[in-house]
Amino acid sequence: MSEVFLVGLSHHSAPISVREQVALSGEALKGALVSLRAAAGVEEAMVISTCNRVEVYVLADQAEPARRFFLDRAADADGHLYEHHGSHAVRHLFRVAASLDSMVLGEQQILGQVKEAYGLASAAQAAGSFVSRLCNRAFATAKRVRTETDIGRGASSVSQVAVELVAKIFGDLKGRAVLLVGAGKMGALSAKALASLGADKVLVTNRSRERAVALAQQTGGHPRDWSELAELLVEADVVIVSTGAPNHVVTAEGVHATMKARRQRSLCLIDLAVPRNVDPRCADLSNVYAYDMDDLQRVVHATRSARADSALRAEAIVEAEVMAFSAERDARAALPVLVALRRRAEEIAVAEAERTLAQVGGKLDEKGRRSVEAMARAIVNKLLHGPTARLKEAASSGDSALPGAAAELFGIEGEQEQAPARPAAATPAAAHIVALSEKR
Amino acid sequence: MSINILRLAALLYAAGAAAYVLFFARPRHRRAATVGFTLVAIGFAVHAASIGLACREFGGTEFFNLRGGFGMLGWIAAGTFLLLQRILPLPAVGAFVMPLVLMSVIPGVFGLGPETRGAIPSIVRLPSLKVHVATATGGVALFAIAFGVALMYLLQEREVKGKNFGALFSRLPSLDALDRLNQRLVRIGFAVFSVGLVTGALVAKNAWGSFWMWDPQQIAFFVVWLLYGGMVQLRHVGVHGRRYALLTLAGFALVLGSMLALGAVPNLTRHGGSFQ
Repeated sequence: MSEVFLVGLSHHSAPISVREQVALSGEALKGALVSLRAAAGVEEAMVISTCNRVEVYVLADQAEPARRFFLDRAADADGHLYEHHGSHAVRHLFRVAASLDSMVLGEQQILGQVKEAYGLASAAQAAGSFVSRLCNRAFATAKRVRTETDIGRGASSVSQVAVELVAKIFGDLKGRAVLLVGAGKMGALSAKALASLGADKVLVTNRSRERAVALAQQTGGHPRDWSELAELLVEADVVIVSTGAPNHVVTAEGVHATMKARRQRSLCLIDLAVPRNVDPRCADLSNVYAYDMDDLQRVVHATRSARADSALRAEAIVEAEVMAFSAERDARAALPVLVALRRRAEEIAVAEAERTLAQVGGKLDEKGRRSVEAMARAIVNKLLHGPTARLKEAASSGDSALPGAAAELFGIEGEQEQAPARPAAATPAAAHIVALSEKR
Repeated sequence: MSINILRLAALLYAAGAAAYVLFFARPRHRRAATVGFTLVAIGFAVHAASIGLACREFGGTEFFNLRGGFGMLGWIAAGTFLLLQRILPLPAVGAFVMPLVLMSVIPGVFGLGPETRGAIPSIVRLPSLKVHVATATGGVALFAIAFGVALMYLLQEREVKGKNFGALFSRLPSLDALDRLNQRLVRIGFAVFSVGLVTGALVAKNAWGSFWMWDPQQIAFFVVWLLYGGMVQLRHVGVHGRRYALLTLAGFALVLGSMLALGAVPNLTRHGGSFQ
């Protein structure tokens, strides 16, 4: 019986030099999917390819085709691959979709990327009903994790915290200016992040004019002279300070004067320098919001520990979903046996009733004849009630031995093959189930 | 009849307020805000029906006591809030304003209509009185919402300034949005209230024979008008944020205090509780 296999590599297992050799996108990925699907023994396939991971999922009788996918593209991928099958592979996909395997725990992009991978696999006709069920369950799991835990909440980097803070003070930055003082790396990063709030203008100033010009080009801003700093503070609404100076570049007295000139318009000062460049007393002025690196770092740490807590609960959700998925799958596997068993019994009941009626039917009226038929059916049903219930139970608890034993015991192995060929013989309900098991 | 419909409206407001508070507590449930909006909208319509019926039953006198006045206030505040959500959708405001609306409607639930049934005084029929009542309550309703918004501003400012990025921080809107909303509400409220002041003087002229009688109600009305007028002016000089929010709180405390005082002390004013 075919099984789901996963072979992949990710930022946990492989360096970028290997990942970039196997990463595919667009048409190339589609082509790879088609050839993967065409490999012997592969029924369905899906490939997730992002900058942090490449994973191949196949429904097949062995993992070899998925391994080949990697080894054909990068010979040195061998030592970096991980392999799972069955419920381990399912769990892995659920964890990936729920962003529990991501570099930044709880990031939101990965779910979209998995959806995209599924869409591509469907378009290339590599994904069938199994992959579709698997992916839908993965999406549902990710959604549960996102709504039932706090894993995606909070800012996970200093520049994200800065953006969140500014958003809570100004809403958006339309019509406002961001001033970047100094050429620190964190400052440039944060200025870029703030541009996402729609800042109209980014002003850059530095003690050295050349650095200011270079930084302005990098951040898409305008370079200004260092000597203008006082006027710039009046012009800007958000000021990010990260110079290498050992003293306060922005003093409380200076800001006090600035606020008068600004007519008390709110001012946000973000000090990313260590030692600090903004006098901490600035925070005491009204309508001035001043933060230093410690304040921002504290939020980042709080977010990270909150996410780690959430991850525990998220793992429990994933576990529950994996079990539910496996149980569902096993239940499906047990269905053909059940259907065949039922049909065999039904046939016997009908045949025996006919034989009896042929002998004594003449002495019975219509009601009597129906009673005989009903009796035959009732005996069969009563007899099969126990085995049916036990089979269903075994299936949903993941026990696949019992269905096999039942098939052997009742000698219905051969009929299973015939089942799809003659659905007309089955009762309507059974036909429905047969159709389902056919799709699998 | 009208009182039962009012009770239904109060129930709907209560459910709407609960939905908004739930949304505030659990912002992930965006649907709670939508449900809240729908409930408040239905409550508003039901309340309108109750007011219409009450007008038939009591001929307009029911608004001239504390209960009726507050009920009308709640109705206008709910309507303003609904309108506001269409223009500037900040559903978090609902968690602060809807409980206020509910509180203003509750007194009416225990009894509607004038304390003494008598002939309807002729001045009730004056068109200027109708405008006066509508604009005065409208202005107060706007000030009430501004009060709620100012409260939100102060709470959010405490979070932002105190570097305490907790639950309130993520749930409350940005300081700038709250400040601008507060300013707009005060400005519009002041304009509406000004109309109330002028029409009030006209009514006084008609009923009492003089525009200005040094009646306590008139004095309170005028002081409130001055205060909010001052706030509108202060905005132009750059007063905003925390100070403005504090002024808004003080202003509404004055409005509420004078309404309660004038309504609670009998015969303090010739207008209000009784027209006889």
